Amino acid sequence: MAHFEIKNLTFTYPTSGGKTALSDVNLKIERGEYVTVCGKSGSGKTTLLKHLKSVLTPHGDVSGEILFEGKPLSEVDLRQQSSKIGYVMQNPDNQIVTDKVWHELAFGLESLGMDQKTIRLRVAEMASYFGIQSWFHKNVSELSGGQKQLLNLASIMAMQPTVLILDEPTSQLDPIAATDFLNTVRKINLELGTTVIITEHRLEDIFHASDRVVVMEDGKIIADDEPHAIGAYLKEQHNEMFAAMPSPVQIYYGVDNELECPLTVREGRNWLSDVLQDKEMKVTSLVKKEADMDDVGTPAIILKELWFRYEKEAPDVLKGVNLKVPKESIFAIVGGNGTGKSTTLKAICNICRPYRGQVLIDGKRIEKYNSAELFKGNLAMLPQDPQSLFVKKTVGEDLAEMIPDGRFSSEEKESKVKETAEICDILHLLESHPYDLSGGEQQRAALAKVLLTEPKILLLDEPTKGIDNFFKLKFAEILNRLKERGVTILMVSHDVEFCAKYADFVGMFFDGNVITTNTPNRFFSQNSFYTTAANRMSRHVFENAITNEDVIELCKMNR
Amino acid sequence: MRFDSYHPAINLIYFVSAIGLALSFNHPVFVAVSYVCAFAYSVKLNGKKALIFNLCLIPFIVLYSLIYSSYNHFGVTNIRQNFIGNEITLESVIYGLVIGVIAASVIMYMSCVFAVFSSDKVVYLFGKISPKLSLFLSIVLRSAPRIKKYAGRINTAQKGIGMSPSQGSLFMRFKNACRLISVLITWVLENFVESAQSMKCRGYSLKGRTAFSIYRFDNRDRSFVVTIFLLLTITGAGWALDQTGIYYDPKIIMNDVTPLSYLFYAAYAALLLLPMILQIAGELKYKRLINEV
Repeated sequence: MAHFEIKNLTFTYPTSGGKTALSDVNLKIERGEYVTVCGKSGSGKTTLLKHLKSVLTPHGDVSGEILFEGKPLSEVDLRQQSSKIGYVMQNPDNQIVTDKVWHELAFGLESLGMDQKTIRLRVAEMASYFGIQSWFHKNVSELSGGQKQLLNLASIMAMQPTVLILDEPTSQLDPIAATDFLNTVRKINLELGTTVIITEHRLEDIFHASDRVVVMEDGKIIADDEPHAIGAYLKEQHNEMFAAMPSPVQIYYGVDNELECPLTVREGRNWLSDVLQDKEMKVTSLVKKEADMDDVGTPAIILKELWFRYEKEAPDVLKGVNLKVPKESIFAIVGGNGTGKSTTLKAICNICRPYRGQVLIDGKRIEKYNSAELFKGNLAMLPQDPQSLFVKKTVGEDLAEMIPDGRFSSEEKESKVKETAEICDILHLLESHPYDLSGGEQQRAALAKVLLTEPKILLLDEPTKGIDNFFKLKFAEILNRLKERGVTILMVSHDVEFCAKYADFVGMFFDGNVITTNTPNRFFSQNSFYTTAANRMSRHVFENAITNEDVIELCKMNR
Repeated sequence: MRFDSYHPAINLIYFVSAIGLALSFNHPVFVAVSYVCAFAYSVKLNGKKALIFNLCLIPFIVLYSLIYSSYNHFGVTNIRQNFIGNEITLESVIYGLVIGVIAASVIMYMSCVFAVFSSDKVVYLFGKISPKLSLFLSIVLRSAPRIKKYAGRINTAQKGIGMSPSQGSLFMRFKNACRLISVLITWVLENFVESAQSMKCRGYSLKGRTAFSIYRFDNRDRSFVVTIFLLLTITGAGWALDQTGIYYDPKIIMNDVTPLSYLFYAAYAALLLLPMILQIAGELKYKRLINEV
């Protein structure tokens, strides 16, 4: 008997005007399987998952049947569903209900009406399994994002579910916390035999581990097979989803060969060695046209030995930051969590005042600007959480409020809004409420809002967080267009792949300091850990292959 | 070793009896005992800060007594006339002082309550009344700091585009502040929907909810209960034997102090000092054990 069986499920949202969100979905999930559901945002992944738990099922027209352990889901009572079907959502913060870690762990068990003794044991078990002991008594507000999501998982696992459903659980986490989290989910699947159904945009970490991958498009399931076959299928169909595949898969299909498709970096390395076996290595490095650091006029931003701390007694966050950002370039700062990257951005736009050192914008000290000058036509920051920028009921109103009254007529205003909306590709969203947009759409709407101040310097804090690969492509296009129009872009990011592909310069931030600055090519080919998957996969044969395209090109040159 | 390591019910029993008794006795000896014990215990718990605070209370006691006696003129022992010709009496001055001291003791006890009762304990005690009530409290305790944090984040985000309540002209600042508040409300509502879903997912609406706590009622707590009730009984006996009664109006009349009275005074003092004695004893023992090793 299958664990979950979905038969001919069709669903329409009442407000969508007849467009089906799910159409004729058939899916069978066996006990203990690890199933990844992927697809572009808006393809119906979340809607599908929400149908697997009655309390979350959205209102609308439904037809078809869902069987849970052989019984129609609607006949499984709330008590059974609560404990047996675990559901982890995207936002770690919103799911936590109580103020203490221990209380959160016990929350579900309290609902089930268990007695003290049982709860005590279960909670102890969970805390030990997930390594929560050291923060067991803490307030939830003191936890990091990764810890919060782990707590959510643990508090669901405490109810001993037989199936675990996760809806983009790591989209709000940094890469290290995300990998940790996904490994824990994998461990639960392997050690406890819990069925896992997960949607993710970071396929690198879960693609190889999945028993089955389900690809969705426009509310339909277009493919449902084991990972190798999915790669082949997507390539064959020239599907856009192929861009979301892990680097080894993308590189594999870029090169003509008869070997088996690699899924991980390790397999990729071996595969590459096999492909190039008995071949004479003609070229091992690419000649790339690179921007030169010193060959530019006045830099847009100069930081001279910035020192900053948040409180008088607190430790220094910035410890003598020196940085030069050349005009009309995309400059990326990479580095771990809590090293002071975001603080640097805040110092540049005068939200944090360094107690020593200077910030020069366009060669002029920042104190010499008044705030109107600085933020109109000079400098703007896109915060890490784009949602915090919106203050109105619709995206259109939100954009319009950025244009000062009086100076422009309402037609001019409208055309300005339209123009910017077009650049950011959000014309169709102007009437929507900003909170209803998906992560990628919010990011672009926020960018549009920021762009309306007509900045010459754009500061971006983690712009690719929680965005899938297509939106990243779109986002990169927008950034390049802006660069051509003379905007200088400084971004702080964890996303090594994105920086490698699109940045002109990369700076490494560590311990309150920019350790090194270089072009992505030189920067990433020097590193062996902190670098792209393509580089890790190919560094034993090629010298400076950074992106998937580099590796593919070099492979072709050598065959 | 500190009193907060005891079961919340014990903390509650102690503070209810201490504050209740302090409020119900107006016999000067008992009032003095409550005052001294409250003073000592609050200093033990909160250190120098409490000492300064407690000393600052003293002028207020005197002030209260002066105000009280200039509005109430009962009693037979005149001290002097005030400027509008009313008699200031010794009885009313003393009664004013007694009330002032009682009020001060209660305030000092409250500072002890805040030091001992963590939010966990309050939530736990409410859970004994109704599990839903305690959950509600816990949600409030979770939401308040979260909302504050998010307000900070919106503020920073708006600063980054030059539209925060601290930038621009006065009118713009006001407008920006209004925008910030309005969007904060939207955000709160929006996020509560998701929290509610997460609660439902984990069976919140099921009947028969229990309240889990990390507290355990152990033998130490039991012996504390026995002791405190013994002392309460003795104090109660003192009250039954009219040892705590006193008249201030029209004349100060109280029972004679007999050797037995000292037993009641001692029992009352022991009752109030119990947590402090236990804490000191624990600390001394710990020190001794450390030294022996």
